[in-house]
Amino acid sequence: MPKTVLIVDDHPSFRASARLMLEAAGFEVVGEAEDGGAALAAARRLRPELVLLDVRLPDIDGFEVTRRLLDVGEAAPQIVLVSSHDSSDLGEAVGASGARGFVPKSDLSAEAIALLTT
Amino acid sequence: MSSPRRPLIGLGVLALATGVATFLVVLDGHHNSDRGAFAALTLAIGWGFTGTGLYVWRRQPASRIGPLMTAVGFSGLLKALGFANDSVLFTVGSLAAVLIYAVLVHLLLSFPSGRLESRLDRLLVAGAYLNTIVLQLALVVFSDPAKEGCSRCPANPLLITHSEAARVIATAQLDIAIALLGAVVAILYRRWRGGTPSQGRAFAPVLGVGGLTFVLLMASLVVEQANVSSELAEALTLALFGSIACLPFAFLLGLVRLRFSQAEAISSLVGQLGGSGGRGGLRDALAEALGDRTLELAYWVPGRSSYVDADGRPMRIDPPPKGKIATPIEHEGQRVAAIVHAAELADERELVQTVGAAAALTLRNERLDAELRAKVTELHASRSRIVQAGYEERRRLERDLHDGAQQRLMALGINLRLIRDRIESDPKQAAALLDASLHELGEATGELRELARGIHPAVLTNRGLAAALKGLAGRSPVPVEVLETPDDRLPSPVESAVYFVVAEALTNAARYARARVVTVSVVRHNGQVDVEVSDDGVGGADAEQGTGLRGLQDRVAALDGGLELTSADGKGTVLRASIPCG
Repeated sequence: MPKTVLIVDDHPSFRASARLMLEAAGFEVVGEAEDGGAALAAARRLRPELVLLDVRLPDIDGFEVTRRLLDVGEAAPQIVLVSSHDSSDLGEAVGASGARGFVPKSDLSAEAIALLTT
Repeated sequence: MSSPRRPLIGLGVLALATGVATFLVVLDGHHNSDRGAFAALTLAIGWGFTGTGLYVWRRQPASRIGPLMTAVGFSGLLKALGFANDSVLFTVGSLAAVLIYAVLVHLLLSFPSGRLESRLDRLLVAGAYLNTIVLQLALVVFSDPAKEGCSRCPANPLLITHSEAARVIATAQLDIAIALLGAVVAILYRRWRGGTPSQGRAFAPVLGVGGLTFVLLMASLVVEQANVSSELAEALTLALFGSIACLPFAFLLGLVRLRFSQAEAISSLVGQLGGSGGRGGLRDALAEALGDRTLELAYWVPGRSSYVDADGRPMRIDPPPKGKIATPIEHEGQRVAAIVHAAELADERELVQTVGAAAALTLRNERLDAELRAKVTELHASRSRIVQAGYEERRRLERDLHDGAQQRLMALGINLRLIRDRIESDPKQAAALLDASLHELGEATGELRELARGIHPAVLTNRGLAAALKGLAGRSPVPVEVLETPDDRLPSPVESAVYFVVAEALTNAARYARARVVTVSVVRHNGQVDVEVSDDGVGGADAEQGTGLRGLQDRVAALDGGLELTSADGKGTVLRASIPCG
């Protein structure tokens, strides 16, 4: 079960709520990033065990960010994708991305994350 | 183009005088036989060509046919100076002995347009001039007439030394001339066969006599080179000169027939105008009548003050394309079209206008067709712009919903779950979370309201234009005075268009114009609504830039209305729209 988390989302109100929720569940939020570029830099610097990653980002798409985050091999974080779309909007891209899984933002909870991570 | 009348008269007088002088020189020459015949032929050639040449020059100043014919005449007179007893005149005559053939090649290959159309033509003409000027000069400086067998010829003051080189040069000159003439005869034949029947009739005299001249010239050169019989050579030379003497009249006949074939084409054009030639039929008939295959028609669209082609596509003819001239055609005092034709027809402006006048009524009808096609093209374009705008509008809405209200509601959901978990264990934090959630909810509601208004303002449907415009004015960051609005309700598409015109103008005024005050007036009269939004800002707005105004233009055009933007630098901006409403 990961402890340290990086939250990647371009909407401040969502980041704020997600942080509250994760901290309440005992996670340590080590950083926030608002786009793909910042997420990659923050992950290199902070080495989070888990990245909570929005699929739709202003610069690079979340799947591409996933691919680059996993590229580092052993030290790669576990990744949980989130989106305000539901999984039917995203199709097979989630399975193909290498992420642990996907949680719609409307269903986001510490329990859902715990189910997907090890 | 005006004819250079006085210089032409001067040239005529010069030709007359030179002709008389040359005639006397030839008659007086004591080193040639057949002087009488040559004197007469010289005069016939010299005067025949200069006379007809100057006439053609005067009638068609833009064409090179006239000047070239005149040049043939003068070079014929110069050539005859070879008969002179005086050594200077004799040498001038020797130098110019064969120049006339090069000018003839130039003239024949330029007929009837007056221009050398192909690269091959130009090469042949250049070769002919080189052969008859440069090689001739080389020949003269190396040959002593006395040693060539003309014991009674005068001395050659240009002689450097009599040398074998002269023979080599002469042979080369003959070979080159024969080759060039062969090519020229072949080209003339092909040109004669290649034209339309009426062109063929017009070309026949010129190309026939011209071809015969060159064949005779070739034959006499071959005989000269073979050196077989001097009687045959002389007979051929006489025949050649006779043929050259006939040539100017062949030219006149050809030009007259060309004119005649155009007149025929005009009458057949007038005949064709009755029936519908289909699209392109009129153009083809006009092209035939004017003998210009490249002719194009440009139809005048008064509403746009510009020309379009038969398919309704915009056409720029001011300035006309290179080598072209546009002659406007009017019908009952109104411009209907322009004929875009070759610049060579500049001399035939009258003909073009006559043809145009004959075709004016048909042109007017075709113009209406073209105008209609232009409108259809524009409709197609605006329809696809409207579809595109609708698509982009939906994408924008989706993005706004996704980035705005949806995110806030997601966050709200997370908060509510947290509150549920905390409400007993930590009521204080739960209350704080509730406050934050209420704030999110308020923001989401506001954003949704704004979005809904962008799609269609409910106030417009429920309470009409006046209330909706007041609402717009109230939300504008720049003070807005609504001066006038219609009392009655308008058809809802019109109300909606007026609303969005005003909304866009107010947005632009606030965003770009740095305006202090904006006034809005909407007046209904004579079955239409006039909208005017003016500000006192910096001006300089451009309707072509920005998709907002373009979209409005399409929206207003879809209701058969018009939109007009006036925005000079520093003079504020006025946006006017007129929309018909029953």
